[in-house]
Amino acid sequence: MTAAVTANATGRGRGGRRHRPIPAWALGLTGLLCLMAVVELVPRTGLVQERFLPPFSEMVSALVDQAGTSAFWQALLETLRGWAIGLAIAMAAGVVLGIVIGGVPLLRAAMSSTIEFLRPIPSVALIPLAVLLYGTEMRSTLLLVVYASFWQILLQVLYGVQDVDPVARETARSYRFRPLTQVRTVIWPTALPYVMTGFRLGAAVALILEITGELVIGSPGLGKQIAVAQTSGAVASMYALVIVVGLIGVVVNVIARTTERRVLRWHPSVRREVFS
Amino acid sequence: MIRFRAALAAAASVLLLTSACGSGDSSDDASGDGPTTVKVSVIPIVDVAPIYLGNQQGFFAEQGLKLDLQSAQGGAAIVPAVVSGQVDFGFSNYTSLLIAKSKGLPLKVVAAGAGSTGVQGKDFGGVVVKAGSPIKSAKDLAGKRVAVNTLNNINDTTVRASIRAAGGDAKNVKFTELAFPDMLAALEKGNVDAVQVVEPFLATAKKNGGKVIASNYVDTAPNLTIAGYFTSQKTAGSKPELVKKFAAAMQKSLKYADENPDAVRKILGTYTKIDPSLTPSLTLPKFPTEVNSASLDTLSKLAVQDGLIKTAPDVKDLLP
Repeated sequence: MTAAVTANATGRGRGGRRHRPIPAWALGLTGLLCLMAVVELVPRTGLVQERFLPPFSEMVSALVDQAGTSAFWQALLETLRGWAIGLAIAMAAGVVLGIVIGGVPLLRAAMSSTIEFLRPIPSVALIPLAVLLYGTEMRSTLLLVVYASFWQILLQVLYGVQDVDPVARETARSYRFRPLTQVRTVIWPTALPYVMTGFRLGAAVALILEITGELVIGSPGLGKQIAVAQTSGAVASMYALVIVVGLIGVVVNVIARTTERRVLRWHPSVRREVFS
Repeated sequence: MIRFRAALAAAASVLLLTSACGSGDSSDDASGDGPTTVKVSVIPIVDVAPIYLGNQQGFFAEQGLKLDLQSAQGGAAIVPAVVSGQVDFGFSNYTSLLIAKSKGLPLKVVAAGAGSTGVQGKDFGGVVVKAGSPIKSAKDLAGKRVAVNTLNNINDTTVRASIRAAGGDAKNVKFTELAFPDMLAALEKGNVDAVQVVEPFLATAKKNGGKVIASNYVDTAPNLTIAGYFTSQKTAGSKPELVKKFAAAMQKSLKYADENPDAVRKILGTYTKIDPSLTPSLTLPKFPTEVNSASLDTLSKLAVQDGLIKTAPDVKDLLP
């Protein structure tokens, strides 16, 4: 990690002097290559024993072995499915409840303390409850995923609804807009950037909890494969799966950002980014 | 991680005790046609090979059972799932079951699972030290740091039994909790003086020059059975036929596994990720067909002696 950061910093410095900026992707790639080199060299030089941290090439070869098995693809699919379902439920619930609660001041005042109480409960603390309710199936992990990402999204939606210009809202009201029309024409456009932020945060948190749930509860997915590799003493396979999880994280982040940029292409924050 | 899981287990048992949890009946008792689906929660370790092997050999199908094997990460997830009826059967070591029983969890052992080979130095679990360590026998462990996978459970009590058997001072040993996969690295670094490991880490340790100084399960009792399959009293009471069929299929599987070690080694590749080059050197546990009640008594006595539980639970009530 440190290596990646340093590589980025030096790269940028040199680029600045030449007045020809190195493209961001090249810098990112350099950082990754440095990290790979470090992970390859540290065990090879004997700084860390190979049986505890295998060289990067061995992890890759373990990954290739894994990729040849159907169990791996099955697990990958299960992880992605759990993540997507959980995020979709959290998004739907968060947006609907956020608009309802945020739109009614009385409800908002009444709910705020409850939300502030429930929100900080770490999802992992609910694992015993999840196991009691659903055993070691996918649903117990889903519960954690939904719980964790729901608050991220709900809070953003609440802020978004609060940010609606009171004059615009009053105007809509005086024109006797129906509640749904108000939501569509006044609240939604203001709240949308917040909703997208909530989506981006929720997507990352959902992935974290998906893997955590699989790892600790043992519900099907990559997290469970990591745990099985660990209890089998298959160190290289374990790291290989960790790399896969990391890659999924990168992909999820890219998807979330792209979606955000597409949905908000009209919004000043995104437009400015494009112009600069 | 293990401590975290232990905390989870504690939280789960509290939840179980305070709530009358009777949610979701997962499967119905045999109702004429078609096999009955049985959910069994197991840990992906060498000890549960017989159930996978029996499933492959069709021993469960013979009884009209269709196994749904769910591998969980440990007792913390298995015990609540069994008690709440989410799964029909679970796999656990006996000390955990004795502790759960003494805390009032309604559990019942239905079949044996895995036991010690009974051969000194050639068991599937043991206490390992680094090559060149001054510790030569269990007696020397007094005052030393020993890693076990869970504190106040089967492994620290049996290591203490080992020390006592060797004439050492068992009170003085310092146990540290570490997950099995982390133990050899900790031993190598010198964070601990000895580790209590089971397969496949025992074979890995031996391959890398580690020395087995004690076979703690062998020292505890002759032919100690260590773990078994259990269910909740509710399932045992409401589905006696299912329990009987499962126990019968399990018994056949255990017998088959004990007679065909090569098949056991082969089946490991299907549910664990143990390096295939390591499998021939693994010491397999013995797969006893009967629950050895003397073992349970011994473990129960040790648990009371070491202060894991205050009073010994009624072992007979735990047995089928």
